[in-house]
Amino acid sequence: MATDETPEPEQKPEPQQGRGPADRRPMPPESRPAPAAASAEGTDSPKPDDTQQNAGKPADAGVPAAEAEDKASGTPQNGRQRLAASLWPPRLTRAQLIVALLLFILGLGLAIQVRSTSDSSALRGARQEDLVRILDELDNRSQRLTEEQRRLEGQKTELENSSDQAEEARKQTVEKEQQLGVLAGTVAAQGPGITLTIDDATHSVEADKLLDTVQELRAAGAEAIQVNDVRVVANTYLSDVSGGVQIDGKRVAQPYRFKVIGKPEDLEPALNIPGGVVQTLEKEQAKVSVTRQRKIIVDALREAKRPDYARLSSR
Amino acid sequence: MIAVLGLIVGVVVGLVVRPVVPTVVEPYLPIAVVAALDAVFGGLRAMLDGIFDDKVFVVSFLSNVVVAALIVFLGDKLGVGAQLSTGVVVVLGIRIFSNAAAIRRHVFRA
Repeated sequence: MATDETPEPEQKPEPQQGRGPADRRPMPPESRPAPAAASAEGTDSPKPDDTQQNAGKPADAGVPAAEAEDKASGTPQNGRQRLAASLWPPRLTRAQLIVALLLFILGLGLAIQVRSTSDSSALRGARQEDLVRILDELDNRSQRLTEEQRRLEGQKTELENSSDQAEEARKQTVEKEQQLGVLAGTVAAQGPGITLTIDDATHSVEADKLLDTVQELRAAGAEAIQVNDVRVVANTYLSDVSGGVQIDGKRVAQPYRFKVIGKPEDLEPALNIPGGVVQTLEKEQAKVSVTRQRKIIVDALREAKRPDYARLSSR
Repeated sequence: MIAVLGLIVGVVVGLVVRPVVPTVVEPYLPIAVVAALDAVFGGLRAMLDGIFDDKVFVVSFLSNVVVAALIVFLGDKLGVGAQLSTGVVVVLGIRIFSNAAAIRRHVFRA
């Protein structure tokens, strides 16, 4: 671990000392460097005054003032004294100036370096391969983030779609519910259609005739039928009772007023065809009138009944 | 004394003037500074040993800086710049420590 400086000056003046400077401990420095320094000067200084010669040596050899000072003090030289001697009385010598110049350069570099590392980002002083590595990392990172963004956007679109679909499905469900409600008689309905009035004074019109009428209307495309205040639906039944007719267990009184929603142009001819409902009823002495109407309101309702046994057989 | 003044002036000038370092030199500056520090510590130790020689100091200072920068430059060219500069800093650091130990023995006798 020898420094550049320690061996060289030592070896130059005194090669015979050999490995000396590398191994020796600097504890007793004053005894051995003294002749070295003296001979470095080129003068074989005698032993007696080698302490004095040594005094001014380290910093600037050949300055009489320093030598005189050290001579005056006459103390044995050691590192500390040498340091103090070279520090305090400032001497303007070539060595000092050169060292000062080099130290100036060092201080300048130090300050620049400290400045540049402290005042700007860490990238400023970074070297090419570090920068490439950092760039790579950033690239990877941005790639990962882009991927994540794409994934999240896909998720978002999916969710939007699914919420759209859910909305659509809900709309369709509502629509279907209304359609089915009209069919099942759970909701009121309105639209063009006809009214059919059967005034049966002789009570000769029985349930089968009314059922025939209903069938005829259904065949002609009736969509909602109401007889007096009873809604006629798929499971409607008609039965004879004494002096009248029951529909779905409710007695309907004379006259029978049918309110039918459907295409009037289809319904009316269907009733009036020769040998059809109207003629058959008139044969029974009933007075029958059919009128087309722009707006029929079928507002008799049936309550929806949950089936006890029938279940969905498929999804 | 004048040398110490030179160091101080250098630091002050560097902080105040804020010179712009060419980018070519920039990567080698920190290593060069560490190498120069090593030379300075070596010089201080030599001075305390009483064997200081200005010529040796100048040569060692400059060669330290040049060699350190050269090693880093070579490392950059070989693609091992980071490792080599770490190695240089470690070696210089060890030398600085050993020199500092020698200086300490002189100054504090311990």
